[in-house]
Amino acid sequence: MPARVVLTGGLSRRYTGGVQEFSIDAKNLRGVLKELDRIHPGLADHLEHETTVAIDGEIHEDVGYYQVVKPGSEIFFIPKLEGG
Amino acid sequence: MDDVIPKDKVKPFKWVGTSPIRPDGVPKVTGVAQYGADLVMPGELHGRILRSPHAHACIRSIDTSKAAALPGVKAVVTSADFPEQAFEYLGPERVAVNYWHMTRNVMAREKALYEGHAVAAVAAVSKSIADEALALIKVDYEVLPHVIDVDDAMKPDAPLLFPDLITRGVEPPPKPSNISKRIEFKIGDLEKGFAAADEIVEMSFKTAPVHQAYLEPHGCVVRFDADGQGEIWSSSQGHFVVRAYTAKLLGLRQGDLRAYAAEIGGGFGGKTVIYLEPVAALLAKKSGHPVKMMMSREDVFKATGPTSGSSMTVKIGVKRDGKMVAAEGLFKFQAGAFPGSPVMNACMCAFAPYDIPNARTVGYDVVCNRPKSAAYRAPGSPISAFAVESVIDALAQKLRMDPLELRLKNAARAGTQMVYGPKLAHNGYAETIEALLKHPAWKAPLKKNQGRGVASGYWFNGGGESSATVHVNDDGTVVCATGSPDIGGSRASMAIMCAETLGINYEQVRPIVADTASVGYTHVTGGSRVTFATGIAVVEATKKVISELCKRAAMIWDVDVEGVTWEDGHAKPASTNVGEFKPLSLREIAAKKAATGGPIGAAAGVNPGAVAPGYATQFCDVEVDPETGKVTVLRFVAAQDVGRAIHRDYVEGQIQGGVVQGIGWALNEEYVYDAKGRMENAGFLDYRIPVASDLPMIETVIVEVPNPAHPYGAKGVAEVNICPPMAAIANAIDRATGHRLTELPMSPRKVLAAIESKG
Repeated sequence: MPARVVLTGGLSRRYTGGVQEFSIDAKNLRGVLKELDRIHPGLADHLEHETTVAIDGEIHEDVGYYQVVKPGSEIFFIPKLEGG
Repeated sequence: MDDVIPKDKVKPFKWVGTSPIRPDGVPKVTGVAQYGADLVMPGELHGRILRSPHAHACIRSIDTSKAAALPGVKAVVTSADFPEQAFEYLGPERVAVNYWHMTRNVMAREKALYEGHAVAAVAAVSKSIADEALALIKVDYEVLPHVIDVDDAMKPDAPLLFPDLITRGVEPPPKPSNISKRIEFKIGDLEKGFAAADEIVEMSFKTAPVHQAYLEPHGCVVRFDADGQGEIWSSSQGHFVVRAYTAKLLGLRQGDLRAYAAEIGGGFGGKTVIYLEPVAALLAKKSGHPVKMMMSREDVFKATGPTSGSSMTVKIGVKRDGKMVAAEGLFKFQAGAFPGSPVMNACMCAFAPYDIPNARTVGYDVVCNRPKSAAYRAPGSPISAFAVESVIDALAQKLRMDPLELRLKNAARAGTQMVYGPKLAHNGYAETIEALLKHPAWKAPLKKNQGRGVASGYWFNGGGESSATVHVNDDGTVVCATGSPDIGGSRASMAIMCAETLGINYEQVRPIVADTASVGYTHVTGGSRVTFATGIAVVEATKKVISELCKRAAMIWDVDVEGVTWEDGHAKPASTNVGEFKPLSLREIAAKKAATGGPIGAAAGVNPGAVAPGYATQFCDVEVDPETGKVTVLRFVAAQDVGRAIHRDYVEGQIQGGVVQGIGWALNEEYVYDAKGRMENAGFLDYRIPVASDLPMIETVIVEVPNPAHPYGAKGVAEVNICPPMAAIANAIDRATGHRLTELPMSPRKVLAAIESKG
């Protein structure tokens, strides 16, 4: 079952002509990025440098290639955060 | 090696959850700890900065010739000495760094954009000569109209800080303005949601900008060798970041700079950025001497980043039974002189405690003639929480519902969709409400002019890159080095986790903060990330050491390593089949290190995710003096989900500290400007932070819903506690007086005006 990949925070407007959701088969985040880059060349670089990622609700600090993607996972690319 | 971690259900922790004495305590209480100002180097010069007296002015020219000629002056620098930086936003959106902005914040170029903006600097053999030299620098200013208030700065006819600033996030691009960015998050169908609501409350709010008010001003010492290798000692929340920014602004290689973490007298987010270090570095390079620079308190207020002031409107709709069905928030934040307020965080956190199917948040980042905003404890979230939690209290009153029960009914839980997209993965919020519902003071009677207010807050918490090294000494003591400056007692927490994992005594572990050449990259001490992320690095390094200790024990016993297990600080035979061996202690194995292969140590570098967010719920009782408007906080009870408390006293201290800063934000703290945009209260006599005599004991209620992504269940604890107090106090004042205050600070003047407006 493919993962549901969602771009938030204006990313779709800037980089994918408004397409916000994708269905992608991948075992890890590197695979997701590669597939997104195939569909929208250059998108992976933007996502890697401009966002962080939430996989099944777990927010990660960085877009890490090694992060595991399970069948049917929900992946949201969201703005990166900072704290005090 | 996961089996080395004791499981609390199987075996109680020995150190986790206790409160041992902090390893850095004695030097601090005896006054010998080395803070930013304390390092003295031979031949050291004193660096001083000339600052703009104007809130907004073009710099036509700077003449430093007389200052440079003054005997005793060894170097003078202006922006002309800094290499120009490309205009580009680098890195993720909210934390994007624009070095074109940063170099201009460190030293003004074309314009001075706020009172206190650095315009030139000198290094001299004494402070008095340096000050005399500053007076000899001639700056030709063309004073321009200024703007400070965020609503004023957004007006079409507002003075522009940058004539070519185009709002990002708006299509088609509008004409230049002070609005740096517009952001929006949305879920569900807002119109349909509000149409289904039985009650709707909409209110507008303003908050004053406040400073982190760390007691130690910024300070640093920088030296260079003749070969261009430099060293920086500074009070910061992250010496790796100090090194990286300084190298970038000066065109140096990071490997040619070594940064040391001085002890830090508070930061709260405000010391995650740099001001003095690149200036001191330039002065040191030009003069050939070490240069020390220290800010005065006035400098700290006028030239370093406070958090934003704001203007907000929040609207929430509920069904008659209290179920929230729609919510909308508009958040306008002062960024200060350069883009980068925490308005995005505010938009993401505003409704995060609640399960609201239809929601939208819109934020504006707006430049104005104030110092560039810097992070302050859960940056952005406390501001939006003031608005949201005030509206929720008004709804509770309309519905005649207990405000805790209303929150509990709508509490976000694992699976709730957040306005910024993903579904929440962790519980913890409802548990804080339930803890307060059980608190004996929740239903305690109140007297005349007294009121009880409640509010909640959300913060993401942080993970990210951290490093640790763990080394075993001959005598069985252990050095645990990390790259995280110790602000809130993290040395103690690291020692606890190292000792717990090894199964040894806490006192055997010496935790240190290593410099940038002695440990791997470690991101700032901020975002409530250190106990979580650096803690994981410490545990990982310790587990590697245990693995090595088992190998050494196997060598000593001449058995296979699989036949050795680690338990209670000792290597033991894994089974009787291995043979009869007396357990070997850490000390006994360490004593044989030369014979078994040499030094025993390990390093770990991690970038952990799965950061569980922090939730806090608090209630307070206040008494309002109807004649003066003075608000006295009588009781404050703060519940917070901490995952698991590693050092219990420091967890309590973090909660108490956040609440106290929130009380100051609520009742007293604000920047007061004159008509020319100059700050009139740049000192602690006039910028009033709460002191002990203003406060009741802050009672903490530690809620523990462990985070499965951390070996001991820890979640960040340092920030979410500052989110609820402003609304909790506003709600208490409302219930005491029948009048809702929507503007911070709720000073006696404003409270009295509100009371008298009732007629």
